[in-house]
Amino acid sequence: MAQERAVAVPGLRAALGQAVGRRRLSLHTRLAVVGFLFVLPALLHLVTFKFLPMLQAFRLSFYHYDLMSPPVFHGLENYRSVWSNPLFHQSFWVSVKYMFGVSVPEWFLALALALLLNRRLPGRPLIRLAYFFPIAMSQIVVALVWKFMYNPLGVVNTILGWVGVQRINWLATEESALPALILIGIWRGIPLFGVIYLAGLQSIPREYHEAATVDGAGPGQTFLHVTLPLLLPTILFVMVMSLLSAMKVFLNPLVMTEGGPNGSTRVLPYFIYETAFAYHRMGEAAAASMVLFAFAFALTLIQLRLLRRGGVE
Amino acid sequence: MSARAGRRWGGRLLTLLTIAGIGVTLLPYFWMLSSSLKTGSEVFELPIRWLPRQPQWSNYPAALSRGAFGAYFFNSALVAMAVMLGNLLFCSMAGYGLAKFRFAYRELSFRAILSTLMLPLEILLVPTYLVVRGLGLVNSYGGLIVPLAVDAFGIFLMRQYIKDLPDSLIEAARLDGCSERGIFWRIILPNCTPALGALALLTFRDNWDQFLWPLIVASRDTLKTFPLGLAQMEGIDSAAYHEIMAIAVIAMIPTAVIFLFFQRAFVRGIALSGLKE
Repeated sequence: MAQERAVAVPGLRAALGQAVGRRRLSLHTRLAVVGFLFVLPALLHLVTFKFLPMLQAFRLSFYHYDLMSPPVFHGLENYRSVWSNPLFHQSFWVSVKYMFGVSVPEWFLALALALLLNRRLPGRPLIRLAYFFPIAMSQIVVALVWKFMYNPLGVVNTILGWVGVQRINWLATEESALPALILIGIWRGIPLFGVIYLAGLQSIPREYHEAATVDGAGPGQTFLHVTLPLLLPTILFVMVMSLLSAMKVFLNPLVMTEGGPNGSTRVLPYFIYETAFAYHRMGEAAAASMVLFAFAFALTLIQLRLLRRGGVE
Repeated sequence: MSARAGRRWGGRLLTLLTIAGIGVTLLPYFWMLSSSLKTGSEVFELPIRWLPRQPQWSNYPAALSRGAFGAYFFNSALVAMAVMLGNLLFCSMAGYGLAKFRFAYRELSFRAILSTLMLPLEILLVPTYLVVRGLGLVNSYGGLIVPLAVDAFGIFLMRQYIKDLPDSLIEAARLDGCSERGIFWRIILPNCTPALGALALLTFRDNWDQFLWPLIVASRDTLKTFPLGLAQMEGIDSAAYHEIMAIAVIAMIPTAVIFLFFQRAFVRGIALSGLKE
């Protein structure tokens, strides 16, 4: 990679050098070229590994392709078979449930955490450190530790037993497997979005709160009329980011439940992965990817809209 | 008077709640550490044992000998470092170009770069695999590293930071006859160490535990990253939880140490991502 770029850039430089030698470019033009050259490697990379693959996926979604024999044009057949596949519909709704099940509690709990950590507290740096620590935890470790905790003989059942809840085999029961995964998503997301909220809270000038207090506003009123409106851009950002990151979840279903029981945790990325790399139906996987992409696209558009209306940009 | 007293008690209650919440947050860590030191039978004892009777330190060497974990950790470290260096270099270059130069289609380029944030690997799994296969990089370190070596988030982060650096810094160096490359290396990079630090930490964290991409592109055992090794070990012997947890503890050390030492940069990096635009 580094080598490939290193070759590409001096090559262009040499070509440019000749042009410069022939007739001296103005400083303005020269700087434009230099600036573009700084951006070029990243741009080439993203074209190769994002834009071309995107086009490729779009094209592939109209082909029959099993990785072995050459692709055959198929028209809308992939979309038709994905659409008529009940597993796809199931996956779609599992994904939707997971996305909202994780992000909606995150919006509120992360804000609550940020508000708690923004107060005067004894030993605040240490408390913050403890809360933010899960951010550093690797995904696979999270998956395996929680899988272990969800074991019928494990910690989760023990703690629930204290309040009289029956033992459940969390990950092997259709009704409880997805909620179990959702809980992990929430646990992992709160610190991350808490940090973002906290930064948003701290960027609000203190004078605003002081002015509100001088005007006789209580803490509740100050929060509603001063903090919340000023925090709006951050809130919108967290809303969309949490949905987007929940949309991508893949590792937990793969390692913890293999999409089961009965497909109750087979989220869309898992469906795509399975279609492509277990059944080698690349075209259908590409068609399903398009649906996932439409999802991401819509969410991003909504975010931009809302942010613009929120007075940002 | 009583309202103020009530508020004070409310405040204390919130403080207590805050401290109690730490328990929930850190429970998985505690459980992981405690289990990694239990015997095989203590792991599934009922009622559960919160702490092992006698810490079994020998679980650690035993677990490590269950697979080529030395190689897996090496692979993870190599991938994470290489991806991190790629991002530091290319994202700061692109960020500098976008922040401090004027050229045709600059805004369009920036928007195009940002739009790739909508295209995570999870969506482009199949075609990215095909591209990497076309480049002949399947089952190679290159295949593990190259597709991840530039990320739009890093470009965004660096651009925002470099934008706030004063232009006079660059112009002065240019008048002194400093080359453009020299300005980048000697003026720009040293002046954005906080952003570089945050970017380094975030990329390292995200790539230290790469799972999905290696799963698809590296089927050779010698190329496996530790998450793959760990998942494989769990798949083979899911009863050996004490040993799985021992590996999990070891796997956590790099990111945990980095987090403890550079917490501020870490948090700043995440916060930067949420603040502007």
